[in-house]
Amino acid sequence: MKKRDRVLKTLEIEEPDMVPITEMDMEVPIMEAIIGETLSITTSLQTPIVTDRRLERKRTDFKIECYRKVDLDLLTVDLSPPEGWKPEENPDGTIVDLWGRILMLDKEAKAWVPYSTVFNQLEDFEDFEFPDPNAPGWTYATEYAKKTIGEEMALATFIRDPFAHAWEIFTPVKFVTWMYQNPNFIGKVIKELSDFNVEVIRQIGETGADLIISGGDYCEEKGPMVPINFFRDVIFPNLKRQVDEAHRGGMKFIKHTDGNINPLLEDFADTVDGLHSLDPTASVEIGEVKAKYGDELVLMGNVSVDNLAMKSREEIVEETKTCIRRASPGGGHILSSSNSWAAGAKLENCLAMVETVRRYGAYPIAI
Amino acid sequence: MGELRDFQTLIIQISDIEEVKRTARKILETDANPVDVLEVLNEAMREVGNRYERGEYFLSELIMAGVLASEVTEILKPSLAKTDLESQGKIVVGTVKGDIHDIGKNILIMMLSAAGFEVVDLGVDVSAEKFVEAIDKEEADVLGISALLSSTMENLRGVIETIRREGLRDQIKIIVGGRPLTKEFADEIGADSYAKDALEGVRVVKELIEAAEV
Repeated sequence: MKKRDRVLKTLEIEEPDMVPITEMDMEVPIMEAIIGETLSITTSLQTPIVTDRRLERKRTDFKIECYRKVDLDLLTVDLSPPEGWKPEENPDGTIVDLWGRILMLDKEAKAWVPYSTVFNQLEDFEDFEFPDPNAPGWTYATEYAKKTIGEEMALATFIRDPFAHAWEIFTPVKFVTWMYQNPNFIGKVIKELSDFNVEVIRQIGETGADLIISGGDYCEEKGPMVPINFFRDVIFPNLKRQVDEAHRGGMKFIKHTDGNINPLLEDFADTVDGLHSLDPTASVEIGEVKAKYGDELVLMGNVSVDNLAMKSREEIVEETKTCIRRASPGGGHILSSSNSWAAGAKLENCLAMVETVRRYGAYPIAI
Repeated sequence: MGELRDFQTLIIQISDIEEVKRTARKILETDANPVDVLEVLNEAMREVGNRYERGEYFLSELIMAGVLASEVTEILKPSLAKTDLESQGKIVVGTVKGDIHDIGKNILIMMLSAAGFEVVDLGVDVSAEKFVEAIDKEEADVLGISALLSSTMENLRGVIETIRREGLRDQIKIIVGGRPLTKEFADEIGADSYAKDALEGVRVVKELIEAAEV
């Protein structure tokens, strides 16, 4: 079976020939280790910042080569910045992204990470000009990747969830302060960010991509980051609009979040097609989620990202087998780590995941 | 006392920030002892922390309680300066080199401040040399170092080794924390203690300081 077909069948919660495998993302150092070459580009999982189209193509080619070499089934790409945009550079080496986040470079991961914000007062937001979703270029990497891989692998575009986006744009303390002081304001921001996503998802649908993966956490180790009624009143209705747009474009929609998602599982099952990462360090047991929601939700996960950094190859093989045993029967399971292949992960452990799924992941599952 | 209890309830219920500030000022105007107000604030924060641990409160409520506590602490500061209240201790905190995550660290700072500790925040991406410099300069009781990423937790070992090499290890208690860390890792790298989150961090800092005073 072709890799793309394997993923598409899985997204329909049916059993393909074998359990598909992918990673939501790989940090540059781990891709460099896989390819054996240096990629002189810094990226960000949270926001599009590679403005030079030549570098954007190079980065996409590098990732495609990497996913091919490791033998993954589903390629993930980020949004690209709109044409002509350049990040504002601060004297201290930080940069400002399209949404007013101040990013600092994590040199080890070669990744720009949200660190601060240009919004000091709530009023600052009123004067801030949001990026235009109709500006050309957001789907540049997606279009380029689709042209390059054709039907070889399935293709997912990674977008940023409006709640997580707002949480980062304002930074957690300001987000929370303003949420309690002026819940309508935060609701309005999340709606505006959702409007943006809906339009961009429409454009992604025209590229031939198969899947949207929406990044950004809803939960932390103990549970949801904000009260559940805020999720139900504000976050999930806006999430549903994005999912509906993905469906109109012939795509499925998987929501990523780390943390303890158990209190929100019912809401997720009513809203999205699938969940990543099913965080095993936060009381999420993938077998239990499978038993309860396996007919409604595609599960993408959940070999512990911490274990990839700290455990032995043999332990990762066992963990991957356990994951397959619990989540794969019946289809609807894409094997991946519980976040992404981070710079600190041991490459031999990452590759052990792939070898294990190829060896033990053939349907019907018999381990 | 009823006024103080009402004030405590305002904090626990995560009331409007302006109402909390107004009430704090009003209590001080009635010649209430600011030390009593601080103690009530501390109790309120403990209750919020307990509710969070029991899953009754969410992270946003824990953060907002911290914001309220910071505001009240600012209001109390001038009055507290006139009392003979001693600081509970001085803590220097920072996120290790290569790591710029700080939610947990910032919650810890708010909660320690509300509990009467003096806190010096070194920020994120802090080098071993900067931690050493701060130990020298601040004469703190405890150093708190956090790391969120499995790729940066090893840098904690380097910080503690540098502190030891500089001959400062006996001058300070060290607590480490952050998502990928474990007690075993903390023991292995030679930290005095470990906390899995900010709430445990406050408890552990108190224990370290109390143990040092014995």
